[in-house]
Formats: sequence, C-alpha cells, structure tokens
Amino acid sequence: MLIQQEMDLKEKLAILSDAARYDAACTSSGVERKGKPGQLGSTAFAGICHSFAADGRCISLLKILYTNQCVYDCRYCVNRRSNDVPRAAFTPDEICRLTMEFYRRNYIEGLFLSSGVLESPDRTMELMHRTVWKLRYECGFNGYIHVKAIPGADPVLIGQTGLLADRMSVNLELPTAEGLKSLAPSKDRARILGPMRQIQTGIAAMERGIVPRGEPLKGAVYPWRRQFVPAGQSTQMIVGATPENDYQMLTVAEALYRNYDLKRVFYSAFVRVNDDSLLPALPGGPPLLREHRLYQADWLLRFYGFTAGELLSESHPDFNIFLDPKCDWALRHLEMFPVEAQTADYGTLLRVPGIGVRSAKRIVAARRAGRLDFAALKRMGVVLKRAVYFLTCGGRMMYPVPMDQDFIAAQLLGEERRRAWDIGQKDSYRQLSMFDDGFLNPVPTAEDRVSAALGQM
Amino acid sequence: MMTIFTCTDSFEGILCGVHDAWMSRLGHENVSLALEDTGNLRMFAEYRRAEESPGKAEKVMEAIRRKAGREACERVYRASLSCEEQKADRIYRFLVCAFRVGPEIVNMLQIPAVYELFRMNRSVENEARSLIEFVRFARTDSGILFGVVGPRCDVIALMAPHFSERLNAENWIIYDEKRRKAVIHRAGGGWLTARLPDDSFRRKLADSGDQQEFESLWKIFHEHTAIPERKNPRCQMTHLPLRFRPYMTEFKGERR
Ligand code: SF4
Repeated sequence: MLIQQEMDLKEKLAILSDAARYDAACTSSGVERKGKPGQLGSTAFAGICHSFAADGRCISLLKILYTNQCVYDCRYCVNRRSNDVPRAAFTPDEICRLTMEFYRRNYIEGLFLSSGVLESPDRTMELMHRTVWKLRYECGFNGYIHVKAIPGADPVLIGQTGLLADRMSVNLELPTAEGLKSLAPSKDRARILGPMRQIQTGIAAMERGIVPRGEPLKGAVYPWRRQFVPAGQSTQMIVGATPENDYQMLTVAEALYRNYDLKRVFYSAFVRVNDDSLLPALPGGPPLLREHRLYQADWLLRFYGFTAGELLSESHPDFNIFLDPKCDWALRHLEMFPVEAQTADYGTLLRVPGIGVRSAKRIVAARRAGRLDFAALKRMGVVLKRAVYFLTCGGRMMYPVPMDQDFIAAQLLGEERRRAWDIGQKDSYRQLSMFDDGFLNPVPTAEDRVSAALGQM
Repeated sequence: MMTIFTCTDSFEGILCGVHDAWMSRLGHENVSLALEDTGNLRMFAEYRRAEESPGKAEKVMEAIRRKAGREACERVYRASLSCEEQKADRIYRFLVCAFRVGPEIVNMLQIPAVYELFRMNRSVENEARSLIEFVRFARTDSGILFGVVGPRCDVIALMAPHFSERLNAENWIIYDEKRRKAVIHRAGGGWLTARLPDDSFRRKLADSGDQQEFESLWKIFHEHTAIPERKNPRCQMTHLPLRFRPYMTEFKGERR
C-alpha cells in the first residue's frame, strides 16, 4: 500500500473526497437545532443543500473519508486493499479546520465522516470519535454531523460517537446475506445489523429520556447537550451489483423501516469501479432508472401508506420500466377508481396518480371553504394529465374516459416511455422531477426535493 | 374612468396605496394599484399618488391582522417583496377577498386572486430559500463575513433570521448588489437592513489571508465529490440555475 507522507491538504482532500463519493447516504435532515451563543452553527429539520455537483447531486455535507486505507477487500469498493491507488489520511485537526472554515462561508451544512478500516474497526472508530469530539468540544461546532458506525467496532465507541453525531449510519450495501458473502466476504450481516440495533436502542432510550451509558469523556467541559443520534439513522443499498430483484430490495427496505426505525434507506446505482470477474458488466452504465424506481417506491412506503407487498410480489418482482410504481399500482386496481375530489378522504386522494402529499393537503383545506373544479385542482398542483383517468370532480370526469386498463395504460405510457427512455439513456436523460409531475411532492427534506428530481429518490 | 393609485415599491408604500384606494370609496372595480416609475402609463385613467405615512401602513396592517389573520399578513408582506410589477394591485385584490371572508381565505386557492398571491409568495420564498443555500461568504481581513447576492425579489431580509441564528458569533453582511441594500449583523447581536448610497465600501473589504486557500479547497471538493459515471449537467442546471453561479465560489472562473 502506497502511503504518501507530507501530502498537503489539497491533495488529501482530493483523494478523500474522491474515495467518499459513492456513498449516497449523505443528507443533513432530521433535526432542528437553534444556534447557541458563542458557537458556530444550527441545523434545519428539512436539511439544506448548498450546491450541486457535476453529477447533479446535492452537496450538503463535507463528505470525506478519514482515510481511504483499508484492511478489507470488498469487491465493489474503490478503496479495497488490493487496489493500487494513492492513499491518504486526515488528522482530526485538519478535518476540524476544513469543516469550520467551509461552514462559516456557507459552503456546507456540516460534516459527513466515513472511513476505510485503518488497522482495526476499533482504531478507526476511535479516530473518528476523536475528530468529532474535537469539532464539538474544542471548536464549538453546533452544525450537522453524520458519522458512519464501523461494523465490528466496540459498542462503547459507537455509543460515545452517537452522543456527538446528529445522524449515524451503517451501510447494508447488499440486500441479502448471500450477496454480502460473495462480494464482501469480510463483512457479515450480523456485524452490520449489530450496530444498527445498538443505535436504534440508543435512540429509543433517548426518547424516553435516558442518556445511553458510556464513560464520560475526560475534559468534557463544553456545554454540548448530550443527545444520542437525534436525526436518526440511515443506510444504503447498492442496486445492481448482485442479482436481487426489486421485490427483495423493497422488502428489505420495508423491514428496515419497521424493525430498525431507520429514517432513510438510500439506493445507489452500482458503479463498476473495479474490474472484477464477480461484478456484473453493466454495459449501459449504472442502473439509474432502476435506482429511480426504487426511490419512488420507497417514497410510497414512507409517505403514501403503501406496503411493499402492494407494489410488487413474487410473481411480479420488478418495477415496470415504463410506468412509475404508483401508476402501475393504480392500473392494476382500477376497481378503486375514479375517486371523487370533493369527498374522498386524504388517504384515498394520495393514491391517485398525479396527486401528491402537498396537493392532497391543499384539496382537503380548500374544499372545506367551497366547491372545486378541475381548474382549481390544477392550481393546487394536481397533475391532470395523469389524474384525469382516476378522478372525478363534482361527480364528473374532466372528459369521458373508459375505465379500461389498456386504454389508460396506453395514454400514460406515451408520456412515461419518453421519461423512462430519457433517464435510462446516459448523457441524454432529462431532468425527471417527481415534484413537477406531481407524483411525489411532500417536502420532507431539501435533499429529497432535489434528489427526487435526479432519480435518486 | 379607472383611478390608479401609485405607490412606492415597498411594503409600507403598497399598504399606503391600499389604504388610499380603499378609502377613496370609488368602488373596488374602479380603482387599481400600480408601482411608481414603472413607465407603463395607461390612457383613460386618472393617476393619484398615494401619500406615504407609517401611520397609514400601520392601520392597514392592523386591519389585515384583525380581519384576515396572521397568515394573511405574512403572505401580504412576502408578496410585497416580489419582483412582479403588478404585485400592488394583486395584493389589493387579495385583500378585497380577505376582508370579506376572514382567515380561511388563505386556503381558498380556487379563487384566482388568492391563487395569485399564493403564487407570488411561493416564488419569493423559493428565491429566499435558494439564496440561503447558495450565498457564499468571503472572510475579510477584519474578520467580517461578506456575501453578495443579486436576487430577482427583495429577499435579503428573509435570509437574515437564518444566518443570525447560525452565524450568531460572527460579524457578517449580506449585500444585495441590485438594490444596494444590505443586512448587517453584529457578532452576538441582532441585524438590521441598510440602504447604501454606492458600493465604494466594497473596495475597503480585503480578503483575509486564508480566503484564497479555502476557496481553492472548496473548488477541489466540489469537483471531486461528483461521480464521473453519473455526470449530468442538465440536472445540475435545473437545481442550480446559471443566474446564481456568478456569485458562487465553486463556479468562479468557469466559462459560461
Ligand atoms: S470495508 Fe469499506 S472501505 Fe474497506 S473495502 Fe470494504 S467497503 Fe471499502
């Protein structure tokens, strides 16, 4: 392994931001914290994006690795031991300085700190902990911090780090144990789920007012309010590196939301950075459209009251390339439509293609005060070119439409096929906004807002 | 004949216009409001200048608060910051409905006048939010953080509360170079807005010693955090329109 000494900060930053960029789980949402006198920073519940990179993704946090040296050799990873790439490591002081100075200039919302495994998981976690400890206590940083928990690290270290971080995450990476075994033999599912459970338990205890136990740190005098991972935890799954289908992916995501109280599951289209016989070839580039569909479906789980089993099944295990999951579902359930805009309850409105969380809320608020018509629905953000097939207003459809699956599918497909084509075609894909098309438009987080448009969610 | 009340392009100015138009008792359909100096004079109309006084604006504000509620007040304020030329008249039309209906009015998007106000609000809020995200500060040799913006709408006052929380311990200035207006924040204290006669003060603000270093570090990060296999300039453009970029560190020196 080539480790360069005497590397300047610019070179390190280039290497260690390169090495961190494949991690999609980088958001600044989930906790609202006011500024404190004498300290730097605050956080916004919805998160804040500060810039957009050339790949169109939002830049919210200073996303870096502590080091890209790693004792492991996961096949999909650019930092694996067997790769001959320049290696670097920050010092805690360098990270603090970068974070504070970037933050002050409003470049970033905070720090996202991950790392390759240096010597051992404990040693790595210890260095990461020391870094965020310095940032909180010595620099007085009150902005957002997201830290990775390193699987296999001592729970005490993870617990201590959680008291300084806003969000923590452990990446599942591959949705099934078999997938993990084939591509990341040094990781196993139990080692990943262990810290996830620990963080979940810690958060739950915190919510009941119990601060997780752990040695108080020597010299900890700065009045940092001890809270355990207040913005919750997230994880990431790689899409398309292993043969799992969409149904398996979504079922795993659903289980993580239910059983581990995750705030977010991120999906990351596999980028083939290593030439490895066990990795799929992907001649068409990263499976962006599939990633996009998974994000759409994930939203349906989190905000629209859908379950994985409603959207997919063993016999229908993959999303339709040409139709978004909500349209696809609606077409298979025409018996539930059309829905009446004047009277349908909120949950029913949400299931109409073309109606999002915001427009559903506006409809419910506006109809209390008076009657609606299609023009009014449009002003409220309903995307009529989809909704017309599924909606009546005042007992009437906008124009007569046969409730016929093939007919409606053909109408919707005209538009969807173009979109799907655009997103699947590298270099030519259009910006595809789930907000503009009214498919998904709650405003949970700023990153959601933009990533949705990207096809990330 | 239509009587057009002209007012200055400010919250108070518009409220005074509303006051005079309303009190003229000419009938809502016979009056309209316009900003001064827009140069679009209409024929067959009588122009009257609304006299500006804080007392009048206060009175209208109080009436809105009482009859239409807080939310309506806030919406009228934000609409007054809009860059649309017809904003004064749109606010008037909204108030005609609001005074009749009461606080429920804000939800009644099916009424065109309400929707128009909602729409102006949304674009003002969007721009303020974008600039909260995109404004870049440079550290000056006196330690002041200095940020320049060139917004369409008059939003710096909407940005100030956010930064006065976040950068509470810093001295900072956000300068709207289109309007020659600034919000100025003193470390540990509050903020105020000021109009500046010219921008000669900018020459006195020299960069601090480490400003260049952090600008180039930021550019490096910005470049390296992108995934080359997912390059997507179109998407980047949608989220970060060109008009913001001349003010942003990471795009400085980029060819347009
Ligand atoms: S442990 Fe992490 S950094 Fe190391 S090779 Fe595996 S994925 Fe890469």
